[in-house]
Amino acid sequence: MYQRRRARILIGVLLFVSLVLVTLDVRGGEGHLLERLRGSATTVLTPIQDGVSTLVRPLGDATANLREVFRIRAENVELRERVDELEQRRRARADLERENRELRDLLDIRDHAELETVTARAVALAPSSFEWTITIDAGSNDGVERDMPVVNGDGLVGRVIQVTPAASRVLLAIDPSFSAAARSGRTGEIGTLSGRGGEPMLLQPLDPSADIELGDVVVTSSYAGGVFPGGLPIGVVTDAGDPSARLTRTIQVLPYVDFTRLHHVHVVLSAPVEPVPPLDGTADIPFQPPPIQRGPDDDEEPDSGEDEGGEDADEQPTEEGSG
Amino acid sequence: MIARTLVLGLLLLTVAVVETALLPFLPLRAIEPNLLLLIVLAVALHDGVQPGARVGFVAGLLVDLLVAQAPVGSATLVFTSIGGIVGTARPYLATASVTAPLILAFVTGLVGTAAYGSMSLLLGEERVTWEAVTAAGLRVGLFNTLLAPLALVAVRRLSNRFPIGAAMTDD
Repeated sequence: MYQRRRARILIGVLLFVSLVLVTLDVRGGEGHLLERLRGSATTVLTPIQDGVSTLVRPLGDATANLREVFRIRAENVELRERVDELEQRRRARADLERENRELRDLLDIRDHAELETVTARAVALAPSSFEWTITIDAGSNDGVERDMPVVNGDGLVGRVIQVTPAASRVLLAIDPSFSAAARSGRTGEIGTLSGRGGEPMLLQPLDPSADIELGDVVVTSSYAGGVFPGGLPIGVVTDAGDPSARLTRTIQVLPYVDFTRLHHVHVVLSAPVEPVPPLDGTADIPFQPPPIQRGPDDDEEPDSGEDEGGEDADEQPTEEGSG
Repeated sequence: MIARTLVLGLLLLTVAVVETALLPFLPLRAIEPNLLLLIVLAVALHDGVQPGARVGFVAGLLVDLLVAQAPVGSATLVFTSIGGIVGTARPYLATASVTAPLILAFVTGLVGTAAYGSMSLLLGEERVTWEAVTAAGLRVGLFNTLLAPLALVAVRRLSNRFPIGAAMTDD
């Protein structure tokens, strides 16, 4: 009984002292007794704590470093995956940029300049089954000149071969006498494109082993005397031919333009690209610009039989000279 | 008696240093036992209410002076209360029970931390929140339960080596 009472008294005293300490600490201002006591205790024990922590810290650091190694390894794997992903994105971006360039070429936004065109309506088709021409209701009064390219929303339609003040005749791109410098929109491989009437057009690349694949877009090229602005869409490769052919390789190109449904076309008024004269010492480069076929109603006599059977000579008078 | 007091004081001081200088640098920093509270519990369970209250007072004072930034006396109040309460409950616990000390370790860890946090809140410690108090109480209760066997064995051996005077025991 005495012990219990003594214990209660002891607990009561200790709790009272604790409350007094709390009160003194809360009520006390700066530098009061308890604060100094706390500071002294810290001063005394700090070296011990410092010694212990100095002993223990390497252990903790080693373990932490071990964990850090695993963390860095995992982070490394994650970063490698991230790098791969970014690399793929970079490649995709490069591909998109190239595709963008090609599309810009297709749209002929070269140098961010719009082609100056005049819109015309197809008013007549060639009466013959062996020639593919149309007559449009725009002529020299509208600024149309011979050899000007004719396009519509789908791509290259042909070129002007005869001009009158109010009308012009257009040789369609599928005409067998039509030829133009062309290139692959994907790889830029150039060649000569010619029409084959109702059959897909033929592309003969300068390099028979050129990287041209099925589905490649073919556009006009202004290379070395081409009469068309570069980048006008022509068609898509439907047969890439045999790349191992030594001499010539023929590639079939399906034109974008539906030549059976030509209603409105645009005559590109931009001057045809002038061929660049060869530099000294390079005149022997064995490149021949694509032959420009002329109709029988041109000013000069045709020098080959390809044009024979073309337009009627008395259809419309020609006012323009040779382009 | 003097030797026991010195040894107990040294034990408390060592535990305080371990708690402040050792545990924070261990790799598993989530371990947050309250070792001083565990010593108070062990002494109260082994020696009774008076030693428990006294050791609780000293341990609380150490916490107040070394560990905490709360007003001096907060931990003293809590630790003394726990030492007294556990010592008072000691005669009603089965001496051979294994689960009772573990349960008490969890409860005292939880309640002691919660009471200390609540006092800090009441005394204007703005950094303390009720959520933090609850979470800390659960963590301390859990780790104190895990470490309770070690503390009980250590205090038992120490008390057997430096037995308390017959007049000081409550039995």
